[in-house]
Amino acid sequence: MFAILRAWAIAFVLLTILYWMLRIYFRSLRREKLEKQFDAGDAQGPRSAYIESGMQAYDRSLRPRLLWLVYILPLTAIAVIIYFVNYD
Amino acid sequence: MWTRIKWGIRLVLLAVVVAFLHYTLPHRDVVRITGTYNRLTEVGANAMFYASPDSGTTTQTTDRRDIRFIEAVFPNDKVMVYRNEDTGWIWPPYFKYDSSNLQAEAKNFESPKTAPEWVAVTHYGWRLSFFSIYPNAVKIKPVAGPDVTLIPWLNIIILALLGGGLFLLWRMWEQFKERMIDPTVDGLNNKLDEIDARRLRAQQERRGFWARLTGRR
Repeated sequence: MFAILRAWAIAFVLLTILYWMLRIYFRSLRREKLEKQFDAGDAQGPRSAYIESGMQAYDRSLRPRLLWLVYILPLTAIAVIIYFVNYD
Repeated sequence: MWTRIKWGIRLVLLAVVVAFLHYTLPHRDVVRITGTYNRLTEVGANAMFYASPDSGTTTQTTDRRDIRFIEAVFPNDKVMVYRNEDTGWIWPPYFKYDSSNLQAEAKNFESPKTAPEWVAVTHYGWRLSFFSIYPNAVKIKPVAGPDVTLIPWLNIIILALLGGGLFLLWRMWEQFKERMIDPTVDGLNNKLDEIDARRLRAQQERRGFWARLTGRR
């Protein structure tokens, strides 16, 4: 029983690190894209305001929420492995 | 010389990674099962090639335990012995806890040489008799005959995912370098250049002062 709890704790820590790394990476990609869009000249107003509003729109969109799959997919994989190893 | 050492280290690291994957990933043998038994087994310095002590088979003793074994024969009459242990919950990530059932299945598949019943034994690990190391059987499935070809789809998928993960990590590192490290280093370099320029100017002014004072250039 204790072994399971320890495995859960380790998985939680590792997946949380992965989640934040991916979150920072994808936000960085989006920010770079917005900067390039603005510099290409197809936007009005000050640069920082354009980028900030773009990032806020990104945070509200579906894509950052898909990052929760970082937790969901490995747990699904473990459930599938347990089924095929022990019950199939 | 240095390039050789560098490549040597890289090759050793690569060999370690490949060996690790080869030990951990599942592999299927087509065999005929000839026997099953338990044996009180010493687990000493080779403990890392056995299940962790808290994974079910025993919890009281760490250096000696009762382990289930499965004896098998390949179509070319070479033999193989599998151990049959629960894996525990962390590594290797098979999450196997049905070794009693697996032993019963193995017993059921036992067959004599005259009426062979061929099965595919999914296992991980190596058989190294010198170190008393046995691969751990995970699953037993009947197959049509001794020369069926089994395509390791699972391994293909796992290796593809690993490769994709490495590629993603590399992209993340590149992005981090481009967006965080390079601007910082540039800023630092600019600052250093500025300091250098200021010192040069001060030096020139000082020299001008001395030149005026002493009349020397």
